[in-house]
Amino acid sequence: MNSFYRFFYHLTRLILGAVFIYASLDKILHPGAFAQAVFNYQVLPGQLVNLTALILPWVELILGACLLSNRWMTGAAGLAAVLMTVFIGLILFNLARGLNISCGCFSTNPEEGPMDKLTLLRDALFLVLAFCLVGLTYYKKSNYHKNQLYTV
Amino acid sequence: MQQSDVLRQSLMDTVREACLIILLSLVAALAVNLARTDSIPFIQNWSIEERLSQDNGDSLAIPLSEAETLFKENKAIFLDARGQELFDEGHIKGARNLPWHAVDDYFSEIIKDMDRETPVITYCDGESCNLSHDLAVFLKNMGFTHVKILVNGWTVWVENNLPIEATDK
Repeated sequence: MNSFYRFFYHLTRLILGAVFIYASLDKILHPGAFAQAVFNYQVLPGQLVNLTALILPWVELILGACLLSNRWMTGAAGLAAVLMTVFIGLILFNLARGLNISCGCFSTNPEEGPMDKLTLLRDALFLVLAFCLVGLTYYKKSNYHKNQLYTV
Repeated sequence: MQQSDVLRQSLMDTVREACLIILLSLVAALAVNLARTDSIPFIQNWSIEERLSQDNGDSLAIPLSEAETLFKENKAIFLDARGQELFDEGHIKGARNLPWHAVDDYFSEIIKDMDRETPVITYCDGESCNLSHDLAVFLKNMGFTHVKILVNGWTVWVENNLPIEATDK
């Protein structure tokens, strides 16, 4: 892995790690408010709303910690890409049907304002970063295996 | 190691590590929720009736027939909790726009000629739209004594061919 790829790999993992951890904190602190935000999306059956509101922030937190600490990177990068894809899909879905709800992405405060195209743009940027990180992680991993082959 | 073996190994690592992250999250989430004082139930009833019931057992929801009667007798003020753009496109005739997302900006202006005893009916659009609920709770906290919610108000009003209007620009 040359220095450019290494720099970009560490930059993307640190940015995404910080974003996921920051996004998780308010949700973990206010589970009731986040459950309301999840419910407002109107995509989950009522029985799954609270479970999702409880588990998702911890996935974000642990995922973010993995990215920051450079551990379990293929799983963390893949999961980050999947989560960002799902989040963008949900935002697109609700923008398309004109639902006037808060994103709940970084704050559980319902007065933070409804999601809009800027929310979509911001998440699209994170999605691009996540896919870049998946590519760089696989590249790093394949290099590692190749080196293993040469050293055996 | 062949390229395909590397890919297979990477995919297996991805799945294994992602599963571990999810499993850890599951354990942490459930354990923390059990330990904290402001925990939420793992499974909750999110039905409209449950969400709109008050501590005294009364419901905040008002049936369309009652809302219609109050409208025809001009005995209630209808507050549209949606954003201004949707309000301008169409709203219940005579309704005022108090967008929940900008309630602090509009509140004083909207309520300046209203008595705290005036019956108020909030509405938005969609069975699960929460704007009218949040606005109703806010108004009750601000001292309004007769606040009700017309659930899925805009849609049911239009479907029943009741008077509507758009904002002239």
